[in-house]
Amino acid sequence: MNILNEFEYYAPKTKSEALELVKSLGSSAKVLAGGTDLIIMMKEKMIKPEAIIDISNLDELKGIVCKDGQGAEIGACTTIAEIEFSKDLEKKYSALTYAAGELGSNQVRVMATIGGNCCHSSPAAETPTPLSALGAKVVISGLAGERELPMEDFIQGNRKNDLQPGEIVSKFILPEPAKKSACRYGYIGLRNAMEIDAVNMAVNITLEDDGTKIKDVKLVMGSVSPRPLVSELIPGLLKGTELTEELIVKAGEAAQSEAKPITDVRASAEYRRDVVGALARRLVKEAYEAAKEA
Amino acid sequence: MGKMYEVSNKYHEYKDYTREFTEVGRSIPRLDGAAKVTGKVQYTDDLVLPRMAYGKILRSPHAHAIIKSIDFSEALKLDGVYDVITGADCPIPYGIVPHNANEHALAVGKVRNWGEGVAAVAARDEATAEKALELIKVEYEVLEAIVDPRESLKRDDLRIHEDAPNNIAYEGVQVYGEPEKALEESDYVLEQEYYSSYVNHAFIEPQSAIADFDNNTGQLHLYATCQVPHYTHQQLSKVMELPMNKIRITVPLIGGGFGGKGVASQADFCSAILSRKIGRPVKITYERSEVFATNNGRHPCYMKFKMGFDKNGKITAVDFNNIMDGGAYAGWGIVVLFYTASMVHIPYMVPNVRFEGKRVYTNKPTCGAHRGLGGVQPRFAMEQMLDQAAAHFGMSPYEIRKLNAAESGYTAKSMMYVPHTEYKKCLDEVVQRSGYLEKHGKLPYGKGIGLSGGYYISGTSYTLYLSYKPHTVATIKIDEENGATVFCGATDIGQGVDTVMAQMAAETLGIKTEDVKVIPRDTQISTFDLGTFASRLTFATGWAIRKAAEKVNAELFPVAASMLQCRGEEIAVKDGMFYSIYEKKKKHVPWSDVVTMYIESNGPLTCTGQFTPPRRKGIQQGGNIGHSPTFGFSAQIAEVDVDLETGKVNVLKITEAGDCGQPINPMSVEGQVHGSIQMGMGQALYEEMKIAPDGKFINPSLHDYKLPTSMDMPEIDATIVEAFDPSAPYGGKESGEGPIQPTAPAIFNAVYDAIGVRFTEMPLTPEKVLNAIKANKAK
Repeated sequence: MNILNEFEYYAPKTKSEALELVKSLGSSAKVLAGGTDLIIMMKEKMIKPEAIIDISNLDELKGIVCKDGQGAEIGACTTIAEIEFSKDLEKKYSALTYAAGELGSNQVRVMATIGGNCCHSSPAAETPTPLSALGAKVVISGLAGERELPMEDFIQGNRKNDLQPGEIVSKFILPEPAKKSACRYGYIGLRNAMEIDAVNMAVNITLEDDGTKIKDVKLVMGSVSPRPLVSELIPGLLKGTELTEELIVKAGEAAQSEAKPITDVRASAEYRRDVVGALARRLVKEAYEAAKEA
Repeated sequence: MGKMYEVSNKYHEYKDYTREFTEVGRSIPRLDGAAKVTGKVQYTDDLVLPRMAYGKILRSPHAHAIIKSIDFSEALKLDGVYDVITGADCPIPYGIVPHNANEHALAVGKVRNWGEGVAAVAARDEATAEKALELIKVEYEVLEAIVDPRESLKRDDLRIHEDAPNNIAYEGVQVYGEPEKALEESDYVLEQEYYSSYVNHAFIEPQSAIADFDNNTGQLHLYATCQVPHYTHQQLSKVMELPMNKIRITVPLIGGGFGGKGVASQADFCSAILSRKIGRPVKITYERSEVFATNNGRHPCYMKFKMGFDKNGKITAVDFNNIMDGGAYAGWGIVVLFYTASMVHIPYMVPNVRFEGKRVYTNKPTCGAHRGLGGVQPRFAMEQMLDQAAAHFGMSPYEIRKLNAAESGYTAKSMMYVPHTEYKKCLDEVVQRSGYLEKHGKLPYGKGIGLSGGYYISGTSYTLYLSYKPHTVATIKIDEENGATVFCGATDIGQGVDTVMAQMAAETLGIKTEDVKVIPRDTQISTFDLGTFASRLTFATGWAIRKAAEKVNAELFPVAASMLQCRGEEIAVKDGMFYSIYEKKKKHVPWSDVVTMYIESNGPLTCTGQFTPPRRKGIQQGGNIGHSPTFGFSAQIAEVDVDLETGKVNVLKITEAGDCGQPINPMSVEGQVHGSIQMGMGQALYEEMKIAPDGKFINPSLHDYKLPTSMDMPEIDATIVEAFDPSAPYGGKESGEGPIQPTAPAIFNAVYDAIGVRFTEMPLTPEKVLNAIKANKAK
């Protein structure tokens, strides 16, 4: 069905106006950033908000700032397409720009925002996985001020996150990538485009100065648990080692053992567990090779 | 009668027409292509009539339930609601096959599938109509739903239709030759079961209808997305209890049909009934979920095949048992059932055939006609069995197909007659172009190549009701104001028949295609055409247009001859110019001048041509269904790369060679081939309508029903083999449904070549492939 329920529409002109509205309207309101998830949920009558607070025109919440040696900041209302095509981001965070380019269709990417993608908190979302692997922090704003959370702590479950009444996500802070490091993103889905991932994953590897031993590694899985799943076993397995074929196989097994997939319309739990192994092997290898070249 | 008889049999003489063309064979972009992509032209849902109301249909959330009561009093009270109708307003059943009509515009007494319409609202805008739907209270008594036809057959206690014992809609047996004996005496008999999946056409444009009933004249004008206006016309006449001459159907542009718009939609009936009640035009446009709920897509088939071979690898017999999942209603069912039977007889020579089939009701959206109907399912089975047999005989799959392939002039056991085929040439071409023989069986594990063939009818010999009338009539009007204008009821559903008709008319008239106008179909303006199905249009309209154009020429040639002062036989016409074939430079006159001269002395010039398909004697056992004046052929080779860790089948390349006779528009043929491959690949690897055990539809959206995207498409190398069918107008046959036949089995054969596993069920999901790879490793 195409018809939305009746609602009050607010288009605040400043961030502080937006925060006032979010606070005063409370849970009866929904925040619209890109609307590519929200409007569909409304059309399908999954939700019937009494008010919509449209923050998509707030310049304060938009834009990409990349500084040499100082990481990057991405405004919450920056569109996925802007991220996909950002040359500055691509140089430092190609896992993120690649993931952005695989989200939905062209039409969706020019509307959807990175803040919306994270706040919708779908387990199959594209951007939280690489953001988490890259060590991104979510900046949450309220009238009382700002607070920061690691990406993986922000999302707490299927369509659940740490946003409190009166708060919105204002930006994402990405740390400068470590020297000799590389992050890679990949996904498994039926199609090569416009896919809802059965599984996605990002692996960030930092090498010692020798350029062969693994100094640090973070492997994050999407769509195999209600929230981005940061592997606890992988660092213990790989840190301090030179990557071998044997370790790659073990890394796959470790990721499989941690994944908690479910069966749904897209894939069975068993299949998801199978391909988690495949993705982990591929991405660990790719990230390691890329880190050597970094 | 005399005239019809003459037309219906005359072309059997294979009059030696010229094979040199100027307009036929040109790759002309669609005449309406630019207007379509720039949004200049209008589809049904784009149209708005004065005082128009918007209609919406309330659909059942249950797959099988008795309707205890419907209370729409609250809906009527809503401001802006004009009226509400229910099954009580549409008691007369309809159906594309008249003697099996069991569908209603809205459910009467009972719903038989998820999403069946139970009430319809007309209101001043869509939002009000939708709100009104929420105010209608329907009380259901939910019944157990059956979603598997094999289960349906055992459940006479749970009849979906009271008059269908064991839920059998139709059943049929055909025996040609002595199949049992032949199988017994065969050197090698293969036995295998197959399942073909439940898919939808997924055309871009959902069904839409605007009905405008004029209370003063009692005339109904329907604008609708129908690819077979004639049968919709008949059924509207029945349901509305109006004579056909009180109903006019205009078909605006159609955004894809593929058979799904071959049946009248409930939007057609509900908008008409509502319009008559409220005295306003009413528009109803389906949501995508309604496209799925009303479906009419491909029948899933549970097939048991036995195929016998002699010691040399020649086919001795086929025994085919087919249980077809028909869904909730009759639809095209009986036709599809017997098509699956007839498809066994070509493109290979099968001397003995036994068919036993049942089309069974289930509580699912009804199945119907879908590009290549009745062919895709048995072809999927037989083309894989041929590969298995080839392996048994130590032959290549190419060799066994060549050995068994029929040739021009072949009469099958079912009496189907093949006037022309270049199928062997298609096989040669794809094998040579792809390097098949060098690759098959020799590629590394995970990579594979597969061959398959197929064919489809190019026309139909029979109407769905008893009639001997011409199947297509074309009228060409020649005047000074417009030049040449073609009137024909043939419906362009995106396949491009408007452009092809213009090319064929231009060819015989000797003018440029761009100067021919084709009047879009409208039952009040166009001359009769049976409809867009069975890949019949190029063949049928071609003959009708050719006859009409020849009559025009018979009038214009003498005038041109006298203007050029030479004998009639000396004259030819080409590129808009009449000329003497001996003194072209000296003696020529523009076509338009000849038209002016003709009209000044004779007045208006309008000529009509017609086409009636030939009928063959001695056809029995329902074997008339599937008969066709001629047939198109296609061979394909799929090259795949199977991801051994994820099970994903990546189709890298499809090499195709088709025999469509003389292509009228090669660019259009190529478009049909690419589209067919996309659709065949979609069914093979991606698409599936998923129905829960209680009959609920799990994925009725294009978000969850996965069509392959452009990013998933392989490289396609499509060629048209040199061919000319002397029984066809301009030598041309079909290319819209033949090329989908080989795609799925070619991919499955390639996957076998890649990983050594024979799959028998569609779709071939990564999960199934990975499980097979794991099982292989475990061995």
